[in-house]
Amino acid sequence: MGEKKMRKYNSMQKVVSISPFLFILTALILHLTLPSKTFSIEERRYLAQWPDFYIENVLNGSYETKVETYFSDQFPYRNFWLYIHESSNRVLLKK
Amino acid sequence: MVFSSLLFTFAFLPVTIIVYYSLGEHYKNIVLLTASLFFYAWGEPVYVLLMYSSILINYCLGRCIEKAGDNRRKKNFLLITSLLLNLGCLAYFKYFGMIINTMATFGGWDLNITTPVLPIGISFYTFQTLSYVIDVYGNRIRAQSSLVLCALYITMFPQLVAGPIVKYIDIESQLSVRSMNFIKFRSGLRRFLCGLGKKVLLANNIGLIWSDVKAMPGIEVSVVMAWAGIIAFTLQIYFDFSGYSDMAIGLGKMLGFRFKENFKYPYIAESISEFWRRWHISLGSWFKEYVYIPLGGSRTTKWKVIRNLFAVWFLTGLWHGASWNFVLWGLYFGTLIFLEKLFLYKWILQWPKVVRHIYLLMLVVIGWVFFEFTNLSDTLNFLRIMFGVAGNGIIDYQGIVMLKSYAGLYIVCIIGTSPWPKKIALLLKRVHFNIYRLVEILYYCTLMFISTAYMVGSTFNPFIYFRF
Repeated sequence: MGEKKMRKYNSMQKVVSISPFLFILTALILHLTLPSKTFSIEERRYLAQWPDFYIENVLNGSYETKVETYFSDQFPYRNFWLYIHESSNRVLLKK
Repeated sequence: MVFSSLLFTFAFLPVTIIVYYSLGEHYKNIVLLTASLFFYAWGEPVYVLLMYSSILINYCLGRCIEKAGDNRRKKNFLLITSLLLNLGCLAYFKYFGMIINTMATFGGWDLNITTPVLPIGISFYTFQTLSYVIDVYGNRIRAQSSLVLCALYITMFPQLVAGPIVKYIDIESQLSVRSMNFIKFRSGLRRFLCGLGKKVLLANNIGLIWSDVKAMPGIEVSVVMAWAGIIAFTLQIYFDFSGYSDMAIGLGKMLGFRFKENFKYPYIAESISEFWRRWHISLGSWFKEYVYIPLGGSRTTKWKVIRNLFAVWFLTGLWHGASWNFVLWGLYFGTLIFLEKLFLYKWILQWPKVVRHIYLLMLVVIGWVFFEFTNLSDTLNFLRIMFGVAGNGIIDYQGIVMLKSYAGLYIVCIIGTSPWPKKIALLLKRVHFNIYRLVEILYYCTLMFISTAYMVGSTFNPFIYFRF
């Protein structure tokens, strides 16, 4: 292998070896760019939206909880992950 | 915001890491401190002020103690002030309710006092603060001149809310100078993923068995189910806590820090003393260094050694929670260690390895019964069921079904508590380095993928009574 090729190969390997971090970044970018959904047919409920900011809600902690719910409700391809979760539970735990 | 939440892993962590590395060397501590304060304020928007004031006061006290130099009286006064403030705070927030309730029970009063809410992580950061002040007092370290670094030591988000309890002396030099490179970042990331997997895949799932068993009425629990349940709890608490420690150590490493290990395969131990050298190491060494040794340790009269031992175990128990069952649990281990020191250990050494191991596991599992039930009569009832003297059935149909479906998970968990997976990985690394590297990458990618599914899955919340 030439030196240039070798270097390219090495940096490729580096990138691949931290792919879980790249996965996290991709998920975050998708989260920011994909439009929010309002309703989930699978869960038969309205999904949480970004909460309104009130200082009293921040102080009593409900704002933070709502943001966490928003983040998980609007997680990119949520239904896909729920499907993976359910099927792996079925296979691994025989539920 | 716990480490195993989506918001932490997919928003707080990547944003912090990117800002931390892109602003570079000069701003690293400011970035980390800001992130940590935000992290704490997210969970404790009001009590974050308590932590601010604690840091400020202890920073000043540390500096004053150092300035006092040889003036013993002044130094003592300052140390006592710090101890009273820190432990007073801890006592008020953590133990006020327990003290009031105990007094009410013994005095027969009917007290109706609202007890304070426990601020997140106060037990951990109080101990870290104390280690700093006490070591400045003992001239083992210089007082930190920078308020930013002092605050960073206390608040650093990887270890802030659930340890490990990092001693200032161990991390002093890393606060200002630490190497940050790709290799360290990658191995930190991998450690974090291991911890995440332990928490969301193993601990959370095996924990379901225990919550099912615990929810059953006492009469219906069969002997086998009682054992299966408490063993599930034994596995759950290990994977939960050691997983959290792994995540903390990994996050620290991603940011360039090197924390000491907190768990070293505790369940492979062969005596109680060995178990406690492998379980929650940072807490054990804290008590040893700041309580046991200052009291005289084991280099004093026989009675004082016994007093010191039981003082440490009383406090270790109490530290785990504001309830008498934790004290009982601590004293249970104190007694066992005392017996081991007295004669049992010499005895144990003559037993075969397997018997020693069974001895340890039995006693630890029984210990978790004390730990799990806050009420002594519940503890005793459960122990009676376990040892078949409560008249419950040996096994029930429901139990068989449950054990069958969870058998695989039990096996994975039990293997996971042993050093074997690591040994096999190292063997593969020696024999076939290229295959090892490939397997390693695939393993961590799968871990990330499945953990994400379980993190999202834990927020699955279908609305059942919906009318279309």
